[in-house]
Amino acid sequence: MDSKFLLILSLVLFGISCLMRMIPLIFCKGKIKSKFLNSFLYYIPFAVMTSIVIPEVFNSTSSVVSAVSGVVLAVVLGLLGQNMLVIALSSTALVFIIENFILHLFN
Amino acid sequence: MVNDKELFQKGLKDGIAIGLSYIPAAMAISIAATRQNFPFGIWELMSALLYSTSALAAILNLLSNGATAFLIYILTFSIMNFRHVLFSLSLSQKLDSKIGVFGRILFAPFNTDEIYSIVMQQPGKVKSSYLLGISIIPYLGQVVGVTAGFLFTQSLPESLKSAMGITLYAVFLALIVPPMRKSVQVLIAVVLAGIISWALECIPAVKASLPAGAPMIICTLLTCTLGAIFMPVNSEDEELEEEMKKSNM
Repeated sequence: MDSKFLLILSLVLFGISCLMRMIPLIFCKGKIKSKFLNSFLYYIPFAVMTSIVIPEVFNSTSSVVSAVSGVVLAVVLGLLGQNMLVIALSSTALVFIIENFILHLFN
Repeated sequence: MVNDKELFQKGLKDGIAIGLSYIPAAMAISIAATRQNFPFGIWELMSALLYSTSALAAILNLLSNGATAFLIYILTFSIMNFRHVLFSLSLSQKLDSKIGVFGRILFAPFNTDEIYSIVMQQPGKVKSSYLLGISIIPYLGQVVGVTAGFLFTQSLPESLKSAMGITLYAVFLALIVPPMRKSVQVLIAVVLAGIISWALECIPAVKASLPAGAPMIICTLLTCTLGAIFMPVNSEDEELEEEMKKSNM
């Protein structure tokens, strides 16, 4: 991806992000009362992130075996309440170990 | 009556924990970003302007899928950030009336999920000196984390970089899994979104008919609509209001 595209993209998205946060802060005095809208907004981050992960994660490494292992480890560490850096690094390390050492044993 | 200096210092202090918590997340997203081979300056600028781990991750995902249409990026980013409209709406009642339009414009980009929730927990109206204090350290945390993550990956061997295809997804899992443990509704929403996303991207006829990035938008709208109809939730504001009423704040 060329730098010019990324530069313009960053600036445009920054503008949108500012507008979305500023306009209600300056002009609106009311609160969102609709339970439907509040619930809809509540689920957005989870739906977006899940749709990014599935199914792409299973093709993100050079073998499905290593990808599945990485996902399982990330989920388990998440359930144990580990922080993001620990999860990201452990999962990457496991994929590395499986791809470079374990899978070679079978080839 | 507390003076401005004390309020500023209180803000700084409240920002420390948030700032520290941003460092690992920013490092993780920066490590994931090196797959795109960004020039250092561009990545630094992008993360400094967008200042949101989840939005940056969504953009990285679109870039790695090769999406070139600006509209897809704008739609995805707007959906991702829509909750900030809601935050700003409730925050607008919380700010001291002496904070003018200029002050509000200045604070708006720093209004992250975490800062928002801390500001909303303050008793009474919030003054500009407090907002200034709480904005500084989290932003520094983000910049430090992004820079550290980028420099860290420069020293890594090629063979490790290929394993880093999973890093971005591990970041997302780290964002999704802990809330799933706390809320059955989130768990159901995640499973539902997973099934919809799988169907949209793995059934050849469906996938062929959709442009890059569209499955995510469809999946989000569908999941959130179903979630809002069948599993409505009380907003955090309402809970906060009830707590405030109880404690007579």
